Amino acid sequence: MKWLILGPEIYFLVVAVVFLTLSMTRHNGRRDFSAALFLAGLGVALTLATVRLEGSLVYGAYRVDLFSQVFKGLLSMGFFLIVSLCSNLNGIREERHSEFYLLLTTCTLGMMLLVSSQELLTMYVSLELTSYSLYALVPMRSGAGQQMEAGIKYFLIGIATSALMLFGMASLFAATQTTLISELSLKLPGLLNTPMASIGLLLTLCGFFFKLALFPFHVWAPSVYQGAANQATAFVATTTKVIAMAMLARLVSMSDGNTSLAHVLIALAIISMTYGNLVALVQKDFKRLLAYSAIAHAGYALIGILSMNPTGYAAAVFYAVAYLAMTFTCFLVVVKVASDGRDIAIIQLAGLHHRSPLLAMALLGAVFSLGGIPPTIGFTGKFLVFTAAMQRGYFLLVLIAMINVVVSLYYYIQVVKAAFLLKPEEELPPINLSAPTTILAALMIVVIVAGGIFPRYLFQLAGAAVQALP
Amino acid sequence: MTMEFAGFPYLSTILLSCVVGLLVILFIPRERESLVKWVSLVFSGIALALSIYIFCLYDRAHGGLQFVEKLLWVEPLGINYFNGVDGFNLPLILLTGIVHFTGVLTMWELRGRVKEFFAFAFVLVLGVFGFFMSMDLFFLFVWYDVSLFPMYPLIAIWGTTRKEYGALKLFLYLLAGSALVLPGIVYIAVASGLHTFDIVALMQPGALTPGQQKFAFLLFYLGFGILAGVWPFHTWSPVGHVAAPTSVSMIHAGVLMKVGAFGILRVGIFLCPLGWEYWAPVMAILATIGIIYGVFVGLTQTDLKYVVAYSSVSHMGIVGLGLSTVTAEGLNGAVFQMFAHGIMTALLFSSLGYIYDKTHTKLIPDLGGMSKVMPVASGYFIVAALAGMGVPGFASFWAEVTVFISAFRVYPALGVLAICALVLSALYMLRVVQRAFYGQRNERYAHLPDVSFSLGLPRMILAATMVLFGLFPRLMLDLIQTAVIPFMGGLPR
Repeated sequence: MKWLILGPEIYFLVVAVVFLTLSMTRHNGRRDFSAALFLAGLGVALTLATVRLEGSLVYGAYRVDLFSQVFKGLLSMGFFLIVSLCSNLNGIREERHSEFYLLLTTCTLGMMLLVSSQELLTMYVSLELTSYSLYALVPMRSGAGQQMEAGIKYFLIGIATSALMLFGMASLFAATQTTLISELSLKLPGLLNTPMASIGLLLTLCGFFFKLALFPFHVWAPSVYQGAANQATAFVATTTKVIAMAMLARLVSMSDGNTSLAHVLIALAIISMTYGNLVALVQKDFKRLLAYSAIAHAGYALIGILSMNPTGYAAAVFYAVAYLAMTFTCFLVVVKVASDGRDIAIIQLAGLHHRSPLLAMALLGAVFSLGGIPPTIGFTGKFLVFTAAMQRGYFLLVLIAMINVVVSLYYYIQVVKAAFLLKPEEELPPINLSAPTTILAALMIVVIVAGGIFPRYLFQLAGAAVQALP
Repeated sequence: MTMEFAGFPYLSTILLSCVVGLLVILFIPRERESLVKWVSLVFSGIALALSIYIFCLYDRAHGGLQFVEKLLWVEPLGINYFNGVDGFNLPLILLTGIVHFTGVLTMWELRGRVKEFFAFAFVLVLGVFGFFMSMDLFFLFVWYDVSLFPMYPLIAIWGTTRKEYGALKLFLYLLAGSALVLPGIVYIAVASGLHTFDIVALMQPGALTPGQQKFAFLLFYLGFGILAGVWPFHTWSPVGHVAAPTSVSMIHAGVLMKVGAFGILRVGIFLCPLGWEYWAPVMAILATIGIIYGVFVGLTQTDLKYVVAYSSVSHMGIVGLGLSTVTAEGLNGAVFQMFAHGIMTALLFSSLGYIYDKTHTKLIPDLGGMSKVMPVASGYFIVAALAGMGVPGFASFWAEVTVFISAFRVYPALGVLAICALVLSALYMLRVVQRAFYGQRNERYAHLPDVSFSLGLPRMILAATMVLFGLFPRLMLDLIQTAVIPFMGGLPR
């Protein structure tokens, strides 16, 4: 019975086996999609049913608590949302569709294992399961060249940061003689003034900086966002970021408010958001723009984590949810506008308010939410993060972040302008949305606005979840 | 969940009328343009009626915060949904009601994307109403940004001269202001140690040290000052006013600039009174420069809308001067001037809007003799121009007199300069009136119809309001006094 708490993980393993079997039969895109949608929906229900479970396995190396279960819930929802975008998976050849779903499933499984890991090696192995699935997902797109460049960049930078991370873990082990998070969090605070422990912790964080696309581990993001198939990019841009935020919160919380670590993270946050926002100003391709905006958002999210107080961790969790919702909505628009699976430039959004008023409204909400304009969930996320930083007295950091927000509004407004103001060069047909897509788009608008107006329950849930952190 | 409602929630109903109006419009098919206009009129009418009702029902003998609505929103952070009216915000709520209602009437002849226009206008006004009535810093900021973001599409889609440039400049300037306000708000809530965003709780003396107050006030003054058109942060305002469509100019110059000035009052002055006293001389100097600068730049303009826009910079300088005196009369005059200027500018833009719609020009040399072509439409503009000069009998006269008397006492030199500049402002207004409305008639426009009764209705309402409060200024001054006296009495000296 004890293994029941592994319900979501076992389920996703079974799903992976199903797609492995399907990939060996005759190829049928429609069948794969229906199966994936059904299984993903069931996965959400199952994962949400296990939210309240708690327990620990394998001598404390694997723990199920509210923190991990909230993120597993988010992951299963993210997985479901991405699968729901795959009804026209035109960027990938049809015979590869079942492999595509297989890799999505193994990646989600890896991330689920990751949030429950309470031990450095478990963490590393789970992270590699996630990473290798993604290394194969990125270059899967059919087409010439571009996706290969993206895949190789992602792979090389990925394994380089893995090496750094392993080195960091080795240093941590050398300094503390343990790999268990529960013991580390007792021993580390006293040892963080020694170079071995502090550099070890910092290098361990690098693995997740890479996933979050934080400066200086951001170089893969623009190529991968543009080069991978739209649905694969959506997956990389939403779920992996959410998990990176969770893991950074878990690891940073071990340091027990160490100021020198905080100072390094402050420097990274400032550089990351400033760099991301400035480079995003000149982007023409919408997915590339989202990549640079993701680099900037990595900086904002890090502010909550580096505040190292309960409000800060809760704010980071809230921010992760907000980020999932608003980024997904942007990709929903990308996938529906580029129905043949190509990349879209910002100006190709022209006339969207005529072609599909609902999608245009969803884009408006998502983009303003990314820009942090109330009453959206993105604004509340930023507000919470800034409040946490202010509680630690980082006034200047908040001011710099706010100036960055204003800079970022310039490029977000270009997207709004394209969708609402520009006239397309040639008359484009209206975009017909299927009933489920219409509901999904409307639902995302509601989530974005309601999360901004009624943050109370979500914030309380986040606050309860982070109590499981050391 | 703790709740505190003093009777029927009139204030939330005002907000609700905007929200419901917005939702109803969203569900009307886009071809039914006149239905959209009628729905807008009805819901803006409800908001106006409620604000007049509150204005009349407010208990002046008792004073203080009335019609309070308080609802715990996010407990761990100390955020409340907290609305209330006092003598400071009541005039501005009334102003918003009047300007939005007349703005809808002014745009009655709008063609093209009507549905979206009125929908965005409701979002804008919702933000403004919420900002004025909110007594919680978090909500104050939320409403503030809600009122800002619709400005971009409103100007960029339906605007005229250099509309995209104007819209973007306005949008980025105003959000740069909010980039200073948000850290300031969070700083106050955290630095006070109270961990609440409740303005009333944060107002208690000793919540913030003098040093914190000086620092935070500067953030609020600069942040909200951008929106209030304080010189030298005003440059977005003439460009934005000129680019905006008529009713947006009305709301924008009439109400939105007051959001900035009121922000300085409600957040800066209320929460950081010591910082206010410390920075008052700087405020006075910037305000006086603004008054003089607005007048001189206004003198050289050839575009009628630019003239009005620079007069706004100048008149908002008077508000700033009143706030900077740190006296009861100065505050009283400043709030009254916010109201009077709002009505007056709305009337100026509204009457200009009609002339521009018909002639398709707003260049002074192209017009000429308009009073012979459309005497009624010109009449409205001339009435507003006279009010702008501060002629007795209009509300702005009393407001300006009150401000100048107190300014003269506190800062004699600046007071004299400002009064001199105002005499010059009479010159530029009269110059405009003479060149555009009298003199040689331009035959090109001779065939144009004068404004009809129904189209003239919004201008009539605005002009009547000007005269009403000009003849009975105590209706307003006494109300403001109920808030000013206790506030000034409670200041640490």
